[in-house]
Amino acid sequence: MLVDFLVVGVSIGLVYAIVALGISLIYSGLDIVHFAHGEFVMFGAFFGLVLVNDSGLNYPISIFLAMIFAGLMGVVVERVFYRRLTSKGGGYTVAGMGMIICGFGMAIILQNIAFLIWGAEGHAINVDFGTPMKIGTVNLPKSYLWILCVSVGLMAILHLFLKNTKAGLAIRAVAANKDIAYLMGINVPLMISLIFGLACGLAAVGGVLIGPINYVQVEMGYLILIKGFAAAVVGGFGSLPGAILGGLMVGIFETLGAGYISGSHKDIYAFLLLIAVLVIMPTGLFGQLAKSKA
Amino acid sequence: MQNFISGIAGFFTRLKSIHPLLPWGIALVVLLPLPQFTVNNYQVYLINFICIMIILATGLNIVKGFAGQVTVGHVALYAIGAYTSAVLSTKFGMPFYVNLPVSILAAMIAGVLVGIPSFRLEGAYLALATLAFAQAVEVYIRVTNYLGAASGIGGIKAPEFFGYSLRKYDDYFYLVMPIMLAAVYASFAILRSATGRAFMAVREDPISAASMGINVRRYKLIAFVMSAFYAGLAGSLYAHMLPGYVHPNNFTVIEMVTVLLMVVLGGIGNIWGGVIGAIIVTIVADITREYYFYQLLLFGAVIVGTVLFMPKGIGGIIDRYFVNRRFIAAREETAEVKRGIVGGSPDESSG
Amino acid sequence: MKKTLTCLVVAGLLASGSSWAGEIRIGATMRMISENGQKYGQMMQDEFDAINARGGINGNTVELILLNDECKSDKGVANANKFAYQDNVHLIIGSTCSSVSLPIVDVTAQAEVPQIIPHSTNDQITKKDSAWVFRVPISARYYKGVVAKYLHDKVGDQVAYVYASDAAAMSETQGIIQQMRDVYGVEPVYEAQTQEKEIDFRSHLLKIKDLEPDAIYFGGLQEPIARFLVQSYEVGIPASVVRAASSAASNAPVPKLAGDAVQGVFFSAAYSDSDTRPIAQLFNSYVRNRYGIGGVDHDFSQAYDLIRIVEIALGNADLSLEDDDLAADRTAIRDAIANVQGYEGLASGPISFCADSTPQCRDGNRTPVLIQYIEGGEDFKVGILDRVTMPIEFGL
Repeated sequence: MLVDFLVVGVSIGLVYAIVALGISLIYSGLDIVHFAHGEFVMFGAFFGLVLVNDSGLNYPISIFLAMIFAGLMGVVVERVFYRRLTSKGGGYTVAGMGMIICGFGMAIILQNIAFLIWGAEGHAINVDFGTPMKIGTVNLPKSYLWILCVSVGLMAILHLFLKNTKAGLAIRAVAANKDIAYLMGINVPLMISLIFGLACGLAAVGGVLIGPINYVQVEMGYLILIKGFAAAVVGGFGSLPGAILGGLMVGIFETLGAGYISGSHKDIYAFLLLIAVLVIMPTGLFGQLAKSKA
Repeated sequence: MQNFISGIAGFFTRLKSIHPLLPWGIALVVLLPLPQFTVNNYQVYLINFICIMIILATGLNIVKGFAGQVTVGHVALYAIGAYTSAVLSTKFGMPFYVNLPVSILAAMIAGVLVGIPSFRLEGAYLALATLAFAQAVEVYIRVTNYLGAASGIGGIKAPEFFGYSLRKYDDYFYLVMPIMLAAVYASFAILRSATGRAFMAVREDPISAASMGINVRRYKLIAFVMSAFYAGLAGSLYAHMLPGYVHPNNFTVIEMVTVLLMVVLGGIGNIWGGVIGAIIVTIVADITREYYFYQLLLFGAVIVGTVLFMPKGIGGIIDRYFVNRRFIAAREETAEVKRGIVGGSPDESSG
Repeated sequence: MKKTLTCLVVAGLLASGSSWAGEIRIGATMRMISENGQKYGQMMQDEFDAINARGGINGNTVELILLNDECKSDKGVANANKFAYQDNVHLIIGSTCSSVSLPIVDVTAQAEVPQIIPHSTNDQITKKDSAWVFRVPISARYYKGVVAKYLHDKVGDQVAYVYASDAAAMSETQGIIQQMRDVYGVEPVYEAQTQEKEIDFRSHLLKIKDLEPDAIYFGGLQEPIARFLVQSYEVGIPASVVRAASSAASNAPVPKLAGDAVQGVFFSAAYSDSDTRPIAQLFNSYVRNRYGIGGVDHDFSQAYDLIRIVEIALGNADLSLEDDDLAADRTAIRDAIANVQGYEGLASGPISFCADSTPQCRDGNRTPVLIQYIEGGEDFKVGILDRVTMPIEFGL
């Protein structure tokens, strides 16, 4: 029983983790919490749907293309809308408060644009993964293996990119201090666009990966987003391995809670975990000390 | 137009100098016959709803505008107020005048719970913690059969005073409108008091506020509890209005964003702005009712547009205008005084 | 304060009511931004346009005003108030969601406007003793009897229930649980609620698997139903365990999304896609061609039946359609709907209303059909297990 719950928890936790990865990346680079991130998951899933079902491309290529498209979309949204706010300072300032509200507004806009394009009906991305594997007594569809491999792979690539390339170094410098990065000759606006594009691309990957399991629908973003937030906070905002670990923890915690305490209250556990972590350990498991900005 | 507005402002200032409550009394008298002037019952319903939204937005303004705490959990407090009233009315048969204070109390206790995380958290983290709280409350209501779960609670009795039931929207107006005026007046009183100044000191810079001897935690908590008072009040009034039905779908994140929009559109920290924001948002939502496919899109666009292009909201524009006028008036006044002094001194010296 | 007043006056001017004589005004409030809401709305609009093209009803044209309530009761109540007092409609259609129809009943009762419900199943709606409400779909009190009886007689008493927190699914599921308890004396082996748009049911399903029930029942919207069915195979609940679902399982996305997992699932509804009557076949191909719907579900058939019933009632009512006679016209329409007897349309059984404000009179259809999926996928197949006309007093 316990093993089964753990397997289930890990598999759903991976979904949360991949969303949390993008949220964390944006936070570390721009000091904002992006409330429209769930909509990029949804748009990514729809891109994947169109690419796989209508264009007949194969799955890995679709993931890659959806990532590119959503990334470009993210760059446009950031440049046209968010830049006005973030250039005044992110995080804790009044502009940061505006950013939260602006994110909500953007989420509503994107969701309704998607509704006007694709309608409200749910769709499944048609991918044949073959027969499910058996772990314990649970059949695990291979789609979860995909999620595991892709998310860990992406994290590794991201880690290498940030640690070993010049652009990665620049991104880290921007994340640490924009003003000093600027003085060092780094093209800060470009790096911010890059960070945002990367994060939105990651969100889209998440969307395409869960498309075959959870169906693609315009309202899919919000629930995943909230759990993604919980995962990002538990792991520590701004930490990439923390995001993966946080996702797994949220997934396991809520599955065990539903299994052993009360099934009806399953969705509350993730939020309780979030509040508990914030109150006891405000920086999460892997987070650095919260940057204080005046 | 400018003269007209400044004329009215001057008139109110003069009224205030007679007695501080006088303008409010006049506003009450002016608003009282409003249901008689409306064309139909639906408009009275809308006005009642606007009054409730004004109370809610004013409450959010206290914690967000005065004290600068980023909360996304206000609707949860509203829900707690509404559900307390609903349970007391339907399960225990309590009358309105018992339900209202108990609902407010329940919301205030919840307000303490929302406020405690604010001791250690700021900005985005606080927003997430309060969002999680709001979600947890909504989910809890949805799955709890005692609270009606997904069927909602219906049949909440309309308030009854001396055997007269306020079932009609016309009658309910006479309950909601004075309460709304009192609530708005109270928020002005808070803003002008020492507590209000402490809130603003906490908002501007918690560290310097602490160094000035302000107990930052205490004032943060007071701000949360005060806003919870307003939310509980609005919730109870909402629950008791015809058709007397509460459902978790009315307390979701979309409602939260709507109230946020009212405050932001009006101008964060500006009380009149919040009132105007509540009126505009409700009316525009009503006018665009028939364009439902684009209504939410417009709603989102207004949010983004306001934040980007009008960060201080309508209240900011009014403020700028009035402050400028006052500034000019004050400058002229001082100039006159100076002239008086300059003109007067030779006399003195000669005398 | 002046600002407030000015705004209110402006609002009043903008929103001032308008009405024309010689026109029957009908207001519909539904969840428009949803899987099929948009298409039902379109169908209603098209049908009333067709009626107008044929010369209207007794020479009067029909004007349909469609509004969206997003399945939120405050929006629905605002819409109903707008219809009743501002648009001065003669009849209100709505809502699709039980949680919205419930409060609207109080509004229409006070405003004295007839209300006719397209597809809300919650049994409390007609128990409010309102003389102004009519329900075309089958009440949850009839559904629960049929499903509980089938479960007890043909499947077994050990049933696990999971249901989403929306008013229709909840009242159907809790009705079945209560029926099983009261009539057959069996407790549910498992009972849990989930969120409306839940994505992971496997923690529930793992526990259910451990309990080895005879059947699992899921109440919810179409996508969660599909997800639930697929995941029930993922956790390894054998195919021998019978799967049942609430009436939303009749919606076409379920077999399309769930694929093979939908095989053998049974549910009870008011209409089935496999109906062999010529009228049903005609209707199926009509809806398929016109609205591009794969499988025609009972929400479409109920919306269609509702329009026909409204047409009949409006034809029989003696209407003056002058502004001054609004109240009289509304009463006439109410009485005309109450006089509709034995309407045979697409619905599984005849629909009859009567004048009393009791549920017996107000729940029009009392013939649920038990339907089973034979094959899933895009071109799914269903078969009819049983068709039962319930006694009128049932479940009261």
